[in-house]
Amino acid sequence: MTDHDLIVELNGITKRFTGHLAVQELSLAVHRGAVYGLLGPNGAGKTTTIRMMMNITIPDEGSVRLFGDERGGRHHSARIGYLPEERGLYKKMRVRDALTFLAEAKGVRRANAARKADEWLERLGLGDWRTRKIEELSKGMQQKVQFIATMLHEPELLILDEPFAGLDPINQDALKDIVVQLSRAGTTILFSTHQMDVAERVCDHVCIIARGRKVLDGALAEVKRVHGGTHVAVAFEDGEGGAAAIASVSSLVAKADDYGVYAELALLDGVDPQTLLERLLRAGARLRRFERVEPSLHRIFLDKAGPDAAEETKPEVARA
Amino acid sequence: MRKVWAVIRREFIERVRTKWFLISTILGPVFMIVVTVLPALLTTKTGRVNSVVLVDEGSATLAERLRTQLGRTGRFDVTLVATDPERAGAVTDSLTAQVQIQGIDGFLAVSGATLESGSVEYRGRNVSSIRDMAVLDRALRQALLIERLTRRGIDPALVQEAQGRIDLKTLRITKRGATGETGEATFFLAYVIGLVMYMVITLYSVNVMRSVLEEKQTRIIEVLVSSMKPFQLMLGKVVGVGGVGLFQFGIWASAGYALVHYKTAILGIFKVPADQVASIQLPAVGAGLVGVAAAYFLLGYLLYSALFAVVGASVNADSEAQQAQQPVMMLLIASLLVLFPVLNDPGGRLAVVASLVPFSAPIIMPIRVAASEVPPAELAGSLAILGATMMFVVWGSARVYRIGILMYGKRPSMKELLRWARQS
Repeated sequence: MTDHDLIVELNGITKRFTGHLAVQELSLAVHRGAVYGLLGPNGAGKTTTIRMMMNITIPDEGSVRLFGDERGGRHHSARIGYLPEERGLYKKMRVRDALTFLAEAKGVRRANAARKADEWLERLGLGDWRTRKIEELSKGMQQKVQFIATMLHEPELLILDEPFAGLDPINQDALKDIVVQLSRAGTTILFSTHQMDVAERVCDHVCIIARGRKVLDGALAEVKRVHGGTHVAVAFEDGEGGAAAIASVSSLVAKADDYGVYAELALLDGVDPQTLLERLLRAGARLRRFERVEPSLHRIFLDKAGPDAAEETKPEVARA
Repeated sequence: MRKVWAVIRREFIERVRTKWFLISTILGPVFMIVVTVLPALLTTKTGRVNSVVLVDEGSATLAERLRTQLGRTGRFDVTLVATDPERAGAVTDSLTAQVQIQGIDGFLAVSGATLESGSVEYRGRNVSSIRDMAVLDRALRQALLIERLTRRGIDPALVQEAQGRIDLKTLRITKRGATGETGEATFFLAYVIGLVMYMVITLYSVNVMRSVLEEKQTRIIEVLVSSMKPFQLMLGKVVGVGGVGLFQFGIWASAGYALVHYKTAILGIFKVPADQVASIQLPAVGAGLVGVAAAYFLLGYLLYSALFAVVGASVNADSEAQQAQQPVMMLLIASLLVLFPVLNDPGGRLAVVASLVPFSAPIIMPIRVAASEVPPAELAGSLAILGATMMFVVWGSARVYRIGILMYGKRPSMKELLRWARQS
């Protein structure tokens, strides 16, 4: 990949607020066309990182490059669509006027902006609401309007801070579809979330941060391969005998999650699943299912950024 | 520049569209017409005529003279009842009953002793009508005076002549000569201008504060400052809201101009007869005064809106804004406190100082210009100080605003605000 393809590049950025370190020596790179998930628990520093990208706050140390340029988000506002974490719109304004204004603020010509606003409103089923005041809209509709405001000027890069938070499943799905569509059309998308299921479905690249530091970064498939270890799902014909069978192989297993119907076993480093199968059969277990499974992002996230990982914050990088 | 223009446009259009703007814009001219028409309508003789009984308890010619005087006022319809002192009590009782059943409005009695004592009692239902009582008082004085002089042998015609109406007219003189304006009209004009300046500056500056706070509360500010510089946003906001102010000011000024120049036609609509209209004193509002008022509105508004923008940027909620705006409001209210002293002595030391202090100048200087002649040097000095202060305050405010709009949580102290202003 060439430098030209680097859309967002953070180099060792650090941000201190009185009394605590919000972001610490964070580096990351987002390539053109990526759907990049910035993952982390609440308070990890996701929003601060995004605000530094957007030129809203300035890092104490390190540099931010957007489109290969150090001048920061404001100079590229026409190329970036930004959705802040906390939502809000001018309550007293009419829907179309508000959309037109926000597009104009990013440098779109007025007539053009109004036409595009109409198209998008029509597309998301809000065509009849264009001349209504925003305060008359339901919360779901207001969120849709805000998404339109983020995308109206057809940005090359979308930066969405917790876009799925507070959405009902229908709107969550609608937004996911839009993200996928835009991504296919070539838009680079970076979003933060703490909802791993969404990230797992949409992202092709993830970066997990915790307590202001990066703990993991890489292509999703690669992250799963490297950090997931070997996971096996097992189910027994005789449900009662399962626990005993698992206990008999405990020397091979790092962690066992018994879900009742089946159990997911994380094998210790270097253990071959074939060995596990042999040992289980030798212990007399009657297997109904034995399958190598991918670890969920949820699992990896908990391992890397969860409360158990409190002390383990040294950065690890998986390269695709 | 297109971004700033978008902000100006939004602030302007969204405000002009509100009901509040429509109502206040219409109310301005309505208020002007009311204050001109009302006195005219009041002086037309539509007032009720009071029917009173004048009891003559042997006053010789005094009662008759008083009746003539009261009759001339046009406000009293007098019935003369002659009685003797012995029956006076019974007459009083029956007249009191008459007043109670609303047969008459009131009664008064004069006797031979009245001429000496000069004391007369009026008993009636409505004794609080200042106007009627003043008329009664004047008629009584006149009747007594004439009667006393006549009895000393002075020719009643001579007395009548000496009684000729005396009127003190106060006329304002400027460098260009007498203006034909009365003192009352000038005072009133200056007073109204002072109040209007105070109101529009407060109103529109507070509007800027609300607008800043709305963007902060809804976090639209994050989207906006990632698209344009905070200063561009603040500039657009202040210019847009100020534009609404000037627009409204312009409408009011045109309405005032129309009222002065077409007063006969306009007041005719309200059935004010033409000869009445001619007697209505409208203060002459020259182009100079309008220009001064517009300039001070603009500079004063810029000064205060910058301060209010800082208030809006440094708080998180409306309730906090109420409190945080107090220091700035105090500056404005202080100007109102000196309003009357300045009106009474528009060339005095207090007036001169208050019109040089940049925080009170926008309200006080237009008052002085309306009420008296202000030396050009003072006007220029006041404008220069105000302009320089305004630019300094806008500069500092923009710096504080830039940081404040993105700060949430604890309200910054005055010290922190100053630190933000110095911070590069």
